[in-house]
Amino acid sequence: MNKLKSAVLYEYLTKTRAMGIFYLIQYLITALIFSIVAICTNGNEIGSNALEFSSVVFVSVIGVLGYKEDFKALLQNGYTRKYIFWSTVCMFTLLAGTMALIDTIIGNSLHYFNDNYFTLYGSLYGYGNVFTNWLWLTALYLMFCSLFYLAVLVINRVGKTVSLLIGVGISGIILLVTALFRFVFTDEIVSKAAELTMKAMGFMSDGTTNFFFPILSFLVIGAIFGIGSYTVIRRTELK
Amino acid sequence: MTAIQIKNITKSYREVTALDDVSVSFEFGRIYGFLGRNGAGKSTLINIIANRIFADHGEVLIDGAPAEENMGIHEKLFCMSEADLYDRDLRVKDHFKWTGRFYDGFDLNKALELSRKFNLDTKKRFKALSKGYQSIFKLIIALSLNVPYVIFDEPVLGLDANHRELFYSLLLKEFENNERTFIIATHLIEEVSGVIEEVVLIDKGKVLLQESVDTLLERGYSVSGMAREVDCYCEGRNVIGFDELGSMKIAYVLGEKTALPQGSSLQISAMNLQKLFVKMTGKGGGGNE
Repeated sequence: MNKLKSAVLYEYLTKTRAMGIFYLIQYLITALIFSIVAICTNGNEIGSNALEFSSVVFVSVIGVLGYKEDFKALLQNGYTRKYIFWSTVCMFTLLAGTMALIDTIIGNSLHYFNDNYFTLYGSLYGYGNVFTNWLWLTALYLMFCSLFYLAVLVINRVGKTVSLLIGVGISGIILLVTALFRFVFTDEIVSKAAELTMKAMGFMSDGTTNFFFPILSFLVIGAIFGIGSYTVIRRTELK
Repeated sequence: MTAIQIKNITKSYREVTALDDVSVSFEFGRIYGFLGRNGAGKSTLINIIANRIFADHGEVLIDGAPAEENMGIHEKLFCMSEADLYDRDLRVKDHFKWTGRFYDGFDLNKALELSRKFNLDTKKRFKALSKGYQSIFKLIIALSLNVPYVIFDEPVLGLDANHRELFYSLLLKEFENNERTFIIATHLIEEVSGVIEEVVLIDKGKVLLQESVDTLLERGYSVSGMAREVDCYCEGRNVIGFDELGSMKIAYVLGEKTALPQGSSLQISAMNLQKLFVKMTGKGGGGNE
């Protein structure tokens, strides 16, 4: 357990500097945009919304680095793939939680002082509950970490050419499914699928909102990616 | 059993067989020279021992326990690798700190003391170090770890003569103070010949021999003289190679020395480890790695 704790701390603390730089740059740019737009519109417009999208990009990069850097370093230090996987999952959770907390606090504060600023969560579900806002963001970031972790593991395993073919295949499937929904499936199937998706995002058919469904959906999708990652990493070799 | 036991390991990359049914044992409390040419399969075997890659067949046991994906052997083995597996953005002192967290047997004070001896700037980031100092950094970590089995993969890569000497003397001192197993994988035979006790020679994915240095040097010798006489002498002996110059010939033999026939003009000389290595691993280029 002590070894796992050391690995988690290593993975997490070696990312905090990058996280600090990310937020510094993000808020410097945002402040600049806010200032320019505020001057040009006499304070009527704010210029930028839903800064969480930048965090999604950042956590995706961390998902990739979770393999690229830490896998090598921990393997060098005698860790097994099972330990590396679980320490990476813990690091993702800690990092997603920390970033979600920062984004929730700053996003809600910005909205509090200026109504024209909308957070990603707030624009979908409103501003009533800061805790569910944090949980929702954590689950969202975690899902993206897991997705990109799986992607980089698969790319590493199968090589460039096969990865490109998989990418083309996935794009093809997305286009096919879209076409099926537009031109093949009956209206009933399409509306049921839409209803299910809306439910998964917490928007119930009776008009109410369930705040935990989207969190659960993100966690389930993240867990599926996680299971995929575990399956791949168990036989991943150092290259 | 206190040893690293390698049993029937085979590893292939597409059509190339990097290791072919390799079986060898590294016992506790000895310094091994794991010798082989570039591409002989040294790094592949080390990577399998260190659980970095998987064998297609066979198994590695460390003190009787399987090495593959076994956290139970974490405190028993450390492998200093030729490849750079460390976070390049971390400072040397931070790497030391983290190694101390990963391994109970890491001596931070010793690492700092060795850094001073090697003039390694611990405030520098790994990526800012020269190739030689990156090797020194890895050596310091390996020497500061109190684990029973330490493997060095090409340890003196990029080191100048002074640093190489310092490393070998520190290694011997470490061995004297705290007996454990050191395995030095290298193709720089002459340099390690004064340090190692036992040799494991690998070529083209196969172990050619495993013997103590003393026995090997005792058994290996060269016979020189007129070609016809040399050929006559070599009949029925284990000749590992020849050198020819005009009508003169030198034969390199592995086996028990026997007295020369009376009146023979042949001369018998001792053979050093490097010559033995060169003759055993043959001519030509490339191996399997």
